[in-house]
Amino acid sequence: MLLNLRQVTFGYGSPLASPLDMEVPAGQVVALVGENGSGKSTLLKTLGGMLLPLDGSLELEGRPLAEYGLRELSKKVALVRMGLVPPAEMTVREFVSLGRSPYAGFLDGRSREDEGIIDSAMDDMDVTLFASRKVAELSDGERSRVYLARALAQQVKLLLLDEPDAFMDIPRRKNLFVTLQKLSREKDMAVVLSTHWVDYAEKYADSILAFTTKGKLEFAPADHARELGLLSWAEV
Amino acid sequence: MRRTVLGFVVLSLCIVALSFITLVSGPVDVSVGGLLDSPIFWDLRLPRVAAALLAGVALSVSGLSLQTVFQNPLAGPFVLGISSGASFAVALSMLAGLGFGRFGTLGAAAVGSLAVTALVLGISARFRNNTVLLVAGLLIGYFIDACISLLITWSDAESLRVYVSWGMGSFGRLTSDGIWIFAVAVAAGLALIGASVRYLNGARLGDDFARGLGIRVSLYKKLVLLGASVLAAAVTAFCGPVAFLGIAVPHLAYLLFCSSNHRVLLPGSALCGATLALLAGLLPEYPLNAVLSLVGVPVILWVLVRSTRRGGL
Repeated sequence: MLLNLRQVTFGYGSPLASPLDMEVPAGQVVALVGENGSGKSTLLKTLGGMLLPLDGSLELEGRPLAEYGLRELSKKVALVRMGLVPPAEMTVREFVSLGRSPYAGFLDGRSREDEGIIDSAMDDMDVTLFASRKVAELSDGERSRVYLARALAQQVKLLLLDEPDAFMDIPRRKNLFVTLQKLSREKDMAVVLSTHWVDYAEKYADSILAFTTKGKLEFAPADHARELGLLSWAEV
Repeated sequence: MRRTVLGFVVLSLCIVALSFITLVSGPVDVSVGGLLDSPIFWDLRLPRVAAALLAGVALSVSGLSLQTVFQNPLAGPFVLGISSGASFAVALSMLAGLGFGRFGTLGAAAVGSLAVTALVLGISARFRNNTVLLVAGLLIGYFIDACISLLITWSDAESLRVYVSWGMGSFGRLTSDGIWIFAVAVAAGLALIGASVRYLNGARLGDDFARGLGIRVSLYKKLVLLGASVLAAAVTAFCGPVAFLGIAVPHLAYLLFCSSNHRVLLPGSALCGATLALLAGLLPEYPLNAVLSLVGVPVILWVLVRSTRRGGL
């Protein structure tokens, strides 16, 4: 099992939700759904090792997450947040190239192999066309894809995405979910993402973790989520 | 890539040419053939070239790394009060007559700049806000200037004259045996920053992002700030408070090299800084700070305007 949570509680000081049991195998997509402020981003930070769990056991590939060194962890897990502000002069390629930083020496050079991985990450997210443009000049949706390409170049086992679809129109959102599903299978990588688009989550994710009313967490396979009532809070 | 190589080559040629001009020109006419036998060459012109090269490199690299660490395009050793910390130490030795000796003035300047850096780092950790940081840096600078004015009112006319002329900045004060001390201090600062290129590249996007790339942010941040402070202190001790280069040159480098990679920006800024400093040093009879601003401001404004017209920036 890639990711294994037993009775994990998370939050800043006091728990945001009830203890969580969850198993995520490699090659699967898990969608976190729930209202604003329900703790989706906090859980993603906890899974990414940026925040210690308050209680319970959190294991990645059978080893407690807290035991991983910083560099070691950065080759296993990447967290992508869309609100990042890139420096004005940074190009798309330079940004995606940051994904190879965990594999570089202190002088931050890139090997030929690194360059190849950067190329294919840009291809996967369909951003090769604007590789030499400045990240700051892209549209929000294009920029989101560039941010994802950086994480792909990092070649992690666990990809954590905080509302990757927030700035995308409907065709691109669909495209994103299709791509993530495909990449998780191809690269044998688990994807945990938060989204407000429960229909997409239901259709393209393998399982859903719902942050329901008052800090209750429900985890179920995506095709049973609706009948189990995980999505009832989101009805129009 | 071609742009980078071309930029490095052109700037290096400029530096060689400007160094040569500085070495062969001066109020005393020394023939090029007899140059190496002349004490004027060894005691006056060579130290002058060395001072300009070292100060240009040190201030630009210090400014670039401060802008990156604090993610702020306005940061620089002067804006953050770091140079003022060094100035205070020099003022203590010149005005209050505290003899630090030859090595001591540099040491005292380093202590002064490091104290301010630690203060600025503490403030930035508490607020995580760029504007607060700049305001705090400026306030610290004002406070230190006030302390220096008190020293000035208590000092005698002769030490005041020495202090005022130091305050205008000059590449002519470095002595031939001081070159080595200055060079070692600059090399130490550059080594600390050079060892942190991977951190600097990640830090442009914030501490959390850098940590996600497996970078030990708190360690490298301290290394870089230590390096930047040593560089600023060395320049202040040997050439006076030179304000302009630290904040302006990194912007010139961003525009010339169109890159955010410190593998390009660090050497790029160093070369730009050395070129501008040598250019300003061609007029040794005028105060350095005045010349730097008079030469540098038009150059940088020209680059800014040109790049906006091309649709850059």
